[in-house]
Amino acid sequence: MVNTKFYTIIYVVLFVSATIQVLVEFAGLEYWTAFGLIMVLSAAKAILVAAYFQHLRWEPRSVTYLIGIGLAAALALTFAASYSIL
Amino acid sequence: MFIVTVRDELSAHVLQTGIVPRGTRAFVFERIFEVFLVLGTLVGVVVIGYMLYNAYKYRVGSGRGSDLDVDRPVLGELPTGGGGGKKLFTSFLLSTVVVVSLVSWTYGTLLFVEEGPQAEDTMEVRVEGYQFGWRFVYPNGYAEDGTLRVPQNQSVRLVVTSDDVFHNFGIPELRVKTDAIPGTETETWFRAEETGNYSAQCYELCGSGHSFMRATVVVMEPEEYEAWYETTGGSNSTSNTTQERVSL
Amino acid sequence: MTDESPNDDRTESRDESDVRSDATDRRPDGGTAVESDGGTDVHSDGGTAVGTELTVPARKADYEDDSDHDFPGMGTIRRWFVTTNHKDVGILYIVTSLFFLVLGGVLAWLLRIQLWAPRTPTTTVLEPLAYNQAVSAHGLIMVFWFLSPFAFGFANYIVPLQIGAKDLAFPRLNALSYWLYLFSGILFGVSFFQGGTFAGGWTMYAPLNVPTFTPDVGASTAVLALTLFVASVTVSSVNFLTSMHKMRAEGLTLRRLPLFTWSILLTVWMMLFAFAALLAALIILSSDRLLGTTYFTLESPAGSMLWAHLFWFFGHPEVYIVFFPALGVMAEVFQTFTGRRIVGRKWFIAAMVLVALQSFVVWMHHMFLTTINLQIKTLFMITTIGISLPFDLMVFALIYTMLKGKIQFKTPFLFVFGALLLFIIGGITGVFLGAIVLDYEFRGTYWVVAHFHYVMVGGVTALVGGLYYWFPKITGRMYDEFLGKLHFAIYFVGFNLLYFPLFVAWETPRRVFDYAPALIPWHQLATIGAFVLGLSFTIMFYNLAKSAFSGEPVGDNPWEFATTAEWAVPSPPPLENFPGLPTYRDGSLAFRSERRAIEGGTATDGGSSEVRSDGGEQTDCLRDSSEVRSDGGVTASATATPTDHDHDDHHASHASIWPFVVGVGTFLLFVGLSGMQDAAFPEGMMGSVYVSLTVLGSVVTLGSLVAMALEPFTGPELVDGETWPFGDLEYGKVGMWIFLASDVVLFGGFIGAYVFTRVAFGWTAWEPIPSNPIPGLMNTYLLLTSSFTVVLALVAAEKKNKWGLVASLTTTFVLGVGFLVNKGIEWDHLFHEGLWLSSNIRASTFFLTTGLHAAHVIVGLIVTLYLIARAMRGAYLEDNSSVEYFGLYWHFVDIVWLFLFPLFYIL
Repeated sequence: MVNTKFYTIIYVVLFVSATIQVLVEFAGLEYWTAFGLIMVLSAAKAILVAAYFQHLRWEPRSVTYLIGIGLAAALALTFAASYSIL
Repeated sequence: MFIVTVRDELSAHVLQTGIVPRGTRAFVFERIFEVFLVLGTLVGVVVIGYMLYNAYKYRVGSGRGSDLDVDRPVLGELPTGGGGGKKLFTSFLLSTVVVVSLVSWTYGTLLFVEEGPQAEDTMEVRVEGYQFGWRFVYPNGYAEDGTLRVPQNQSVRLVVTSDDVFHNFGIPELRVKTDAIPGTETETWFRAEETGNYSAQCYELCGSGHSFMRATVVVMEPEEYEAWYETTGGSNSTSNTTQERVSL
Repeated sequence: MTDESPNDDRTESRDESDVRSDATDRRPDGGTAVESDGGTDVHSDGGTAVGTELTVPARKADYEDDSDHDFPGMGTIRRWFVTTNHKDVGILYIVTSLFFLVLGGVLAWLLRIQLWAPRTPTTTVLEPLAYNQAVSAHGLIMVFWFLSPFAFGFANYIVPLQIGAKDLAFPRLNALSYWLYLFSGILFGVSFFQGGTFAGGWTMYAPLNVPTFTPDVGASTAVLALTLFVASVTVSSVNFLTSMHKMRAEGLTLRRLPLFTWSILLTVWMMLFAFAALLAALIILSSDRLLGTTYFTLESPAGSMLWAHLFWFFGHPEVYIVFFPALGVMAEVFQTFTGRRIVGRKWFIAAMVLVALQSFVVWMHHMFLTTINLQIKTLFMITTIGISLPFDLMVFALIYTMLKGKIQFKTPFLFVFGALLLFIIGGITGVFLGAIVLDYEFRGTYWVVAHFHYVMVGGVTALVGGLYYWFPKITGRMYDEFLGKLHFAIYFVGFNLLYFPLFVAWETPRRVFDYAPALIPWHQLATIGAFVLGLSFTIMFYNLAKSAFSGEPVGDNPWEFATTAEWAVPSPPPLENFPGLPTYRDGSLAFRSERRAIEGGTATDGGSSEVRSDGGEQTDCLRDSSEVRSDGGVTASATATPTDHDHDDHHASHASIWPFVVGVGTFLLFVGLSGMQDAAFPEGMMGSVYVSLTVLGSVVTLGSLVAMALEPFTGPELVDGETWPFGDLEYGKVGMWIFLASDVVLFGGFIGAYVFTRVAFGWTAWEPIPSNPIPGLMNTYLLLTSSFTVVLALVAAEKKNKWGLVASLTTTFVLGVGFLVNKGIEWDHLFHEGLWLSSNIRASTFFLTTGLHAAHVIVGLIVTLYLIARAMRGAYLEDNSSVEYFGLYWHFVDIVWLFLFPLFYIL
């Protein structure tokens, strides 16, 4: 785990994808395509940070599930509530 | 979507049979409430009766709960269950059947109520709640505070909203009720079969005047109503303010 | 049945070892075979530790002298301010919650007096607004400050005993939970004197909950009081979850937990997520009230609906949060007083788990008359029926448990039996509400009032049974049985006299004091019932107060068929609960001695940390055979964390004044904040009072938190037991992750509120507030880099590179400050463009959501400063867990930004 070079690579990837994310916005894509791309990029970065910086990859899987449950609850609220007024 | 298909299937089946109560809001409510009340009481009496009977039967000193044939819990044991699973599941299944069939049965009526009356023979009134009263706006733009007039035996569609806080408009005797939410509209409907005065009331706490936030609903003979409606002439000072709120 | 084979095992082990409560012969310690496995290893200090089996139930003589000279005795006032012991905290919770029961009860009396007759505006007893305040305060106090804390008094006292732990994982946080709870309650009390408390009902529907319609300062205070209460609940949830997952005795797997503990476990899980959603709602509401944001105001496109969603997303799980502990008490008491094990125990557990999960997807059944569409109504009707069914199973399981029983109608059982009966009525009347067509008409009427009082006060009935049940354990003395039964009789009559007429008078609209004259007799019956029910408690208070001092002393276990571990220790249990390490390895409870047998009789003060670090050489005696068993000492050594090596003192600590001081600080802070409106304090003297209180409160809170962090405090050790599903993670890490899970829901609530509002507004019509995403991108870079430097800090700490650690942390700090400065500049620009918190809903969501994130950054920076200061003095090189846990938090804040940035800047 103690590997500075490895963490540096992750960091560079994060940095670059953050830049790409904004470029996508300026690329003039159709709104929902850009929306999808941007959210996917955010999710990918989040997963990288969680997996390596928070070293979830090396923790018991239960910790990941724990966060997953919280996320599921938040998403249930967001989507069901939004859907209800459509 | 899954639910939509199920709903359509159900409505196709259910609405045609005569089991599902249809009629005025008051009629369908009374029907369903009655059935629930009778069944609920029955189930309650049976379950509570059975519970009391066994509590008496197996009281200490009744001589029934002999230790010889029964394995009693002991201090420090790891918790385990006490058997009797078959009985448990039978009762569970039974209660499931009762509850699910009861609620599914009412679902047919829900669809009927949600669908509402046919558009052509319906009149529409806009209801606006405010602290602390109700304003009724008729299709011709006439608005009146505190009194809603409707013809007998005609379906009335209410479009309900609020000018300030969250209210709830209900006419208990006609079994119609819906939330009055600022910035958005809810819809409901009713049909009154008897002429006379009914009372409408706010059903959501809305401030100091909540207890007295009422309106009168006057159900008139159709001719009488028509005559009255003619006199309103479609213009009234309050209707302007109403329009402003709507465009908000 | 499926349980047959364990039954056999149990019978066997009982016969052989005779651990029955009434067993009088105690095992001679030396008589049994003492096997040494001779496993001396690196930890060996020459002496051979011998673990011996102690008797169950425990004898006083088996306990080490655990008198801690620093820890004041039960009789002193000081004890109750500094204690962190779970049993003391439990008592504090119970006593405080009973106080709030009386307060909420008096408010209920006022309501019932008002309802004695229909009132016109001139004939009221309470002014209309006072009535609304009483209604709201009654609901809020009973639900938040009485019901849950009452249950959590028992949870605090009993759960560690039932799982075989000496305390909760974070004893000081437990005390902190209590003090936050108490002060939140006092804060709520203060709200009555600030022009009047909140008057918009316990559901606090929008927009009645914003200052336009409820302008009193007291209304803001009530909201803040609730926020503080939620903080208490969150701390408590993290603590309980860590403890219950990590500190169970060996052999006590989740499936084998006693049902009361199970019910608490599920309650706490629901609390963790549900209260996080409420916290989001309350922070937003506080912001609307204090800072002038416009989430719930009339201008918001769907403010009313947003509140309803957020509130009920919390509110429905809350119903089970208050009811589950009662269910656990019922199961426990049924088993003890019928002398039968719970029928279908594992299905009972499965049903509870199912309910706990489903409770998060039924909330819209509180909103059937709002604008939600038919599809979602149908979906929520189905989930609602789905959630009612597991309760049927639980009710039947309890009823069938009585069969072939030896039912003793003692007070606890009477209450619990009565509770089941009331719950059946509450349940059946609830099915009525599940039918949407009926719900349409019951909405806002006394049918709902009667139904949920049958369910919730039915739960209270069970908890009162629990109070009688555990009273002898807590006080060491028996209550008066006759008075107990008398209490039950009057209580039960009063209950039904109060609530049953409300079903008959169901056409009364809720929170209305002018009703149809035909209903007068029913309301008068209910009012009489309210006094009967309320006054019945005087019998209980008299009985318990008197018995606590002069009741018949009881032994370990006054009940014939009690099984759980709290009954296997003295009443009240000594400070550290058990005479040795509790274990269920052999299928039933046993205590393994932690004392090290040392020749010459000078016992080193073998706290359990000794046992842990010496675990590898522990030997133990087996109860009934000479079979040699390794006690898993290797595992124990492997799981040992270096945390404890910081302290020479192996005694667990039990005292800290700082949780109390933090409570005082937050109280002052919140009183100060309550004076704020539209992001400014009022002019004049009151304004200065509020400002000074805010400043003073902040200083005290921050100072006491730092003092608490610096205070040497030894928590309970990691012991060798059941830890599923968190394996060998340390308590701190588990706690941090659980906290972060709740924080996910908090931010989820904020983002959900944003998405919902934007959908109502028209998604694509909504322009992001910052016209230029570049400052946001800069901030993304800054945060990503600061995350990276935190990783470098941890790497440096692992390499024991002190200055690398300090440098990395300092860089993190600088980057964090850079983030805030950049944000400050951006906000300043927006402000000068005329965009601020209350400009419009887009601005409100932008400033508040990114503001909450910035607040997280600020908290992180304060912690960073603390870490830097300690690191410069050489800390974290041996034990870098603090740096690691901080990193988890910081990366989380980073991740949140990764979503906020696109949502608020570019989409």
